[in-house]
Amino acid sequence: MNYDRPELLDRLAAAYVVGLLRHRARVRFERLCGELPPALAARQRWEDRLLPLSLALSPVMPDAQRWSQIERAIAAMSAGAAAPSPRPAKSRWWPLALAASLVAVAVLIGKLTFWSGPAWQPLAVLAPANAAPLWRLERSADGEQIKIRTLGRVTLGAAQSYELWVLPGGGGNPVSLGLLPRQGGLERRLTPAQRALLLGARQVAVSVEPAGGSPTGLPTGPVVIVAPIARAT
Amino acid sequence: MVTAADSNELDDLLRRCARQDAVALQALYARAAPRLLAILVRMLGTRAAAEDALQDAFIRIWQQAGQFDRFKGRAMAWMVAIARNRAIDLQRARRPTVLLDAAELAEAEQLRVEGPGENLEFDAAHQTLRRCLELLGAAPRQCLLLAYQRGLTQERIALAIGQPLGTVKSWVRRGLQSLRACMES
Repeated sequence: MNYDRPELLDRLAAAYVVGLLRHRARVRFERLCGELPPALAARQRWEDRLLPLSLALSPVMPDAQRWSQIERAIAAMSAGAAAPSPRPAKSRWWPLALAASLVAVAVLIGKLTFWSGPAWQPLAVLAPANAAPLWRLERSADGEQIKIRTLGRVTLGAAQSYELWVLPGGGGNPVSLGLLPRQGGLERRLTPAQRALLLGARQVAVSVEPAGGSPTGLPTGPVVIVAPIARAT
Repeated sequence: MVTAADSNELDDLLRRCARQDAVALQALYARAAPRLLAILVRMLGTRAAAEDALQDAFIRIWQQAGQFDRFKGRAMAWMVAIARNRAIDLQRARRPTVLLDAAELAEAEQLRVEGPGENLEFDAAHQTLRRCLELLGAAPRQCLLLAYQRGLTQERIALAIGQPLGTVKSWVRRGLQSLRACMES
């Protein structure tokens, strides 16, 4: 196709935006938009023309469980052995943490030292029996998020994932806090139920599960780590 | 509907997603998921299929956030394209026996009107589009809406409305030309 002819480019862009292209043609056009500014401009003109039809629909609230499934899938991707090395999420609090570090007091918990910054508080250090720690967990001061950082080399087959659980203080079934990353770190927002459980819990645990996490909602593989929760400061 | 301030905020959230900030993705989900789900329910017909497509779309948004830069200021359009393309793929993987009923066909012909918006700029664009679609005539409008709102191929549209494929292609082509001319005038 001669992409120098604006009317042909416009027709192609219209077919893309309306949804008339087959999958391969669509992918080719998306690539073209990255290489040829007039193609991108034509696409955006058609999007502007038709978008009101999409945005005029009355919003539909997704099922409340849907977000946790997305979060789980994303954590599994971050934890996947074959996945490209994700850059650790930059904490929005780093300027504060840096300032705090100038006057910081190192708090010794177990064998590790945490920075007791203004935003994050130590939660637990996860180490298999007689081995070096693999992850550090922190929780935000408001208790709404946890932050997970890998400390050591995490090895596990691609078909498996490490899953983090909170063990309820009053007994009862463990509740998943999501998958643990193999490298780097991540921050995760807790549901109200998870927050309430963490407040009353004394231990967290790690089990080995099929890739993507336990299919049952309860640990199905061996529990390889049980760690105490540091009391909130 | 999508104000400039909204758009800046969505842009910012997508930039944070590109830096692997999962908290930003959750905020983006809270802002955009209900609108994307409305589009997907319209395209796929069932809530269950639409929610699965929504999940796939957000995983793609997360994966492709690094490519968002050249769509700066157009976060909603970019996310709508990702969601729609996912629905189109799912729609085409279905067996072609899933056809629309008479009420759904009539709805596409009549150009369904939704409630009043809150954004005057958006409403003006919407009114122009509606006016131009009305000028197209029932058959070309029905073909365009079945393609855009339902994700149907021209072959499926021909089957659905009982017209030859060549006729449908001609209506779609002429409909798009007329729509562009009308909206530019």
